[in-house]
Amino acid sequence: MNKAAEMQAVVEMTRSIPCAPAILPKLLKLTEGSAADIGELETLITMDTGLATSVLRTANSAYFGNASRCDNIADAVLRLGSKTLYRIAANTLTGRWLVHPLRGYGWEPGDLCRHSLCVAICAEVFAGMTNLADTSTAYTAGLIHDLGKFALAYANLSALDDVASRVPNEYATWREAETAILGYDSSQVTKALLENWGFPSAFISVGFYYQSPSLAPDVDKPLVTLIHAAKHAASQLGYGVGADGYYYEPDEKCLTEAGFTEDQMEAALPEILSSMQRFVAPDGVVHFN
Amino acid sequence: MAQRQQPLEDQMRTLVVGVADFKISTDSFTYIVTFALGSCLGITFHDEKNHVGGLLHAMLPNSSIREGQKIRPPMFLDTGLPLALEAMVRAGAKRDQIRCKVFGGAELMLSDKFFRIGSKNIDMFYQLSDSLALDVVAWEVSGRVNRTIRLDNQTGDVLVKVPSKPEFIR
Repeated sequence: MNKAAEMQAVVEMTRSIPCAPAILPKLLKLTEGSAADIGELETLITMDTGLATSVLRTANSAYFGNASRCDNIADAVLRLGSKTLYRIAANTLTGRWLVHPLRGYGWEPGDLCRHSLCVAICAEVFAGMTNLADTSTAYTAGLIHDLGKFALAYANLSALDDVASRVPNEYATWREAETAILGYDSSQVTKALLENWGFPSAFISVGFYYQSPSLAPDVDKPLVTLIHAAKHAASQLGYGVGADGYYYEPDEKCLTEAGFTEDQMEAALPEILSSMQRFVAPDGVVHFN
Repeated sequence: MAQRQQPLEDQMRTLVVGVADFKISTDSFTYIVTFALGSCLGITFHDEKNHVGGLLHAMLPNSSIREGQKIRPPMFLDTGLPLALEAMVRAGAKRDQIRCKVFGGAELMLSDKFFRIGSKNIDMFYQLSDSLALDVVAWEVSGRVNRTIRLDNQTGDVLVKVPSKPEFIR
């Protein structure tokens, strides 16, 4: 099989995974406005049983619950508000997709989920400190930035073991090794997946350019740079970082131009950790509600 | 590496230490574990004679970045290390019997201006280990690996796991 056909086969394999996060773009659009259409949201949420259950459970949790029990999605939407609702949906949909046991990157089951969540939280915090993106968009971009790696590992390619064994002795970065050995890299797979699922072009740019934000189209560069910063900050915290995690080059020029400083990012880590620890127990178990 | 009495593996209890946390045990048949250190430092403390062990998972070198704000002392090396030593002594360890091992401090490649927490943590630990007169008997720091560590509280051995590699003992 030639390299292009093999990459397409990797993308096709992921179509069979149930509940891929394909409804996220529509959900993001519905929740990002100030007046979300509750009817449409209700329809979208009830299409996915697991998501509907998560929404109802959270609406009735001690944190959100009040005297009256909430037993339908429309009431739950009103009680939770669009931002919380979106966070639950994004975590539920991508979370269940990212917990499969995988090979190739040295991940334990759930590692990609923990790491993606940490990147999402870093992105959300950094978005709040800068004007590079709104917080919901940043959060989603963080969750989906590395889906291509999941697809590659899910396809169980033996060549991934070859990639792992040849970094750093033969190839300085993980991306170089993927390109040389597979004939393509994980960012191309992420791009193909997100295009298939109809994600907006800004998210596709994130998936494709987050490792080299200088190359991103100008219109998407702020979000891509934000995810680049979030990715590396999250790697410092260690959550779900696999064998590839530290074999990427930070684009310091791009980070500086975007206004980031080392001190600012380090000072944000305690807040990022507190958010992570709301979702991830000390033993690594992720709980989204 | 010390010889351990042989409890069955499933008789060993496990105590999990989160990020920015410190835990201690006086039970020999206990593992104290912390996951995925990244650029953080995991420091084990062990007094073999008095059967006291502890593990600190510190994220950042210096609490001054949170000046004037409420802090979690184990989050920072400058506040976490003295706290850990005091707790060890309170739990029955003799100060001059405590042996330390240090892990973590991973770093990204080619980073001059950003993401240097790993090396800052290691530098700070060097300074503090000197001023606190720590007896450091093993180092497994820096590099581009994410480490999970498990202190065997009977022997003081630390089992280290990195992605895609078999576990080894320090």
